[in-house]
Amino acid sequence: MTDATYASGASAFSFRPTRAQIRGAFGVFVVFALWQISVWIIALPPYFYPGPSEVAGAFVDLIQKGILPSYLLDSASRYMAGVSTGLCLGIAFGLLIGLSRFWSRLLGPIINFFYAIVEVAWIPLLVMWIGYGFDTILIAISYVVFFPVLYNTLTGVQTVQKVLVNAMQTLGASRMQVLTSVILPSALPNIITGFRVGAGFAFRGLIFAEMIAAGSGIGFLIFDGAATRQTDRVVVGMIVMGLLWLALDRLFLRPIERATIERWGLVRAKGESA
Amino acid sequence: MTSQAANPFAMSRIDPVAMAGVLPFLAVLAAWAFAPTLSDIPTYKLPAPTIVWETFVEMTLDGSLLWEIWASLQRLAVGYLLGNLIAIPLGVAIALNRAVAETMTPVLSFFQSIAGIAWVPLAIIWFGVGEGSVLFVIANTIFFASIYSTVIGVQSIPQVLYRAALCHGASRWDIITSVVIPGALVQILVGLRTSMAYGWRALVAAEMIAGTNGIGYMTLEAVQWYQTEIVILGMILIGVLWLALDFLVFRPIERVTVRRWGLLS
Repeated sequence: MTDATYASGASAFSFRPTRAQIRGAFGVFVVFALWQISVWIIALPPYFYPGPSEVAGAFVDLIQKGILPSYLLDSASRYMAGVSTGLCLGIAFGLLIGLSRFWSRLLGPIINFFYAIVEVAWIPLLVMWIGYGFDTILIAISYVVFFPVLYNTLTGVQTVQKVLVNAMQTLGASRMQVLTSVILPSALPNIITGFRVGAGFAFRGLIFAEMIAAGSGIGFLIFDGAATRQTDRVVVGMIVMGLLWLALDRLFLRPIERATIERWGLVRAKGESA
Repeated sequence: MTSQAANPFAMSRIDPVAMAGVLPFLAVLAAWAFAPTLSDIPTYKLPAPTIVWETFVEMTLDGSLLWEIWASLQRLAVGYLLGNLIAIPLGVAIALNRAVAETMTPVLSFFQSIAGIAWVPLAIIWFGVGEGSVLFVIANTIFFASIYSTVIGVQSIPQVLYRAALCHGASRWDIITSVVIPGALVQILVGLRTSMAYGWRALVAAEMIAGTNGIGYMTLEAVQWYQTEIVILGMILIGVLWLALDFLVFRPIERVTVRRWGLLS
């Protein structure tokens, strides 16, 4: 897993295309070619099976009318607000449960139970309680991010080496100092991994929430396009969604994860060998 | 787990740790039961626990609830088997040839990232509302999550293992059975698990938008009629079913494979 992750992440930043990138680009080209050829063979009306040219046209049209940029902005703000809320709450509860046996015993089972009620299931109730719009989506997305961050923070806190904590305490550190200079840094690689997993589920959650509970955004674009028989817009939405996630994952989340593991994971590795 | 099996009496003792974990459930139940009387939340927004329980009993007795659960679970099973039975062999086959794997990786990771809910509207256009759309979306989600994981798993096998096997005169088939499959197994299992998690969400979501029966359909349909008790019942069932799936299907698979191959991630 990690080897492959590093390899694909590293190749994203080199400017000379590698052989894998050239082959990958060829693969993408083949898919587009097959798509176009299948459109010619199937020869159904574009609302049923739009070809690359219709989709490109719809893309240009959506940009010129300013629909796509404003939808993107809406989706991005919902996503960022939700993910950061979930991240903060997940870390806070992860630390609380990881550091205290009392809270762990008290809250462990109910957190496991709510984790099993996926965010998709919450959306109908949230729509009844809060209605359509930003708040419902914000809660749903924070909910998705919360659990993976919490569980990974927990793992991180539980695998902190006792020797480091003892050393700090021997040197007279306060609880706060132990938290900020031992526990948080050594749990950080796990927290970031949880963040990346949560961000992935949240992205799909965002699309679904926008289909049911919003009047704008990429999810709404996909949903509304189908309702109004503008299938080319549906496909634009799907492609934008896929590319957006790939960009977010490869250019932001994975580099952060790698950097964190290099910076703080190494510290831990040294400690373990000593 | 094993200690409980060794000492059957351990079960009958009241475990104070488990008791502590029950408290928040009681607190949530109490808050739920008393909230409508303490504040002015109307019952159509938050029906009392007893109403949800009565609905549960009623729907169980007339068989409608079991019918919805069965509809969802058999769909999930069909989609899961269909998706994985194609994805894993195909993933291994693709990853065996480096050129093919490198050509396919960007395409697969793209489809993996749009797989799932985003296909629902297109599925409705192609297959209409109902069984076909929901199955297409589940199988699609599971297929791409699983194949991507399988390809990554095969690619991460160190070259030295292939060379070692070849030095000892391994045939192509030997390499597949004793290097590729065991070497990629951890990632294949990750794929089996992740695809189930994505597949379950996709199932519930697809039933909500494109379904005509099933747990997801039941839950969102009730919103339109303001039957909040059915919405809450649906949510609880979605949680309980997932826990049951995890417990009955995945924990045993993990235990067996960890014991057999000694894989601990």
